[in-house]
Amino acid sequence: MIYALCFLLFMIGLYCTVVKKNMVKIVLGILVMEYAVNLFLILLGFRTKGVAPIIDRHALEGGQLTELFVNTSVDPLPQALVLTAIVISLGSLALIISVCIRIYNKYGTFDITQIRRLKG
Amino acid sequence: MKGMTVIVKTISSWVKILIFIFGIYIILFGHLSPGGGFPGGVILASSFILLMLAFSRQEAEKYFPLSVASKFDCIGALLFILLALMGLGFGINAFFWNFLQQEYLAAHETVLKLISAGSIPLYNIFIGLKVCASLFLVIVVLSMTRPELPSEQEQHLEE
Repeated sequence: MIYALCFLLFMIGLYCTVVKKNMVKIVLGILVMEYAVNLFLILLGFRTKGVAPIIDRHALEGGQLTELFVNTSVDPLPQALVLTAIVISLGSLALIISVCIRIYNKYGTFDITQIRRLKG
Repeated sequence: MKGMTVIVKTISSWVKILIFIFGIYIILFGHLSPGGGFPGGVILASSFILLMLAFSRQEAEKYFPLSVASKFDCIGALLFILLALMGLGFGINAFFWNFLQQEYLAAHETVLKLISAGSIPLYNIFIGLKVCASLFLVIVVLSMTRPELPSEQEQHLEE
């Protein structure tokens, strides 16, 4: 059920990317799609009634650390991968925004229907 | 008047130090609590970007010149690769091997302390340095592409 909501968020981002005419709104659609994919990857590692995958002093002194950790905590591996994916999307967002600024400097508009001929 | 109002300038000159220290905390304790190199570096960069937004870009460049930022960028990446290559010389000859933990720290009882887990905090520090410098450079260079308003051109002539 919650995976269907992630898919709905992805579809909203796809709608923004395909239909909108303002360049900044297209970039926002790309961002929403990336958020939906990251959210989906984190939700795959979720476990109902699970704890955060952090080992602190109480867990260390309790004994049977490995069984407790494996049986009750959520999966930390998708979280580490999604952290890297978020940083990569930040870098690509910087590139996309600089392309938008460059097009605005050349054509004077953010409207993609006005940008017809190659200039500069 | 460059930058924002007096209230924003006063408060941001106090708050930027807190944000800087918080970013360093997130980087240093990355192996014990959530955080690490990437988020800590972003928080460090955001303290300089706050400086750039509240004052002007020239004030932020006085604190953190662009040449210094690009040098930190390269130094962070080089030190990261150097530390990874040093793993080839100890014990099991593996790239990225945690040689500080296996060779020097395994004898002592250092679990859940600040100096533990070998070379992982060092990796966090280098990545934090690189991410901070990179993000600051990206945002400053993006703000340079804005054409100057006529009011700012008059200020340049007055100065």
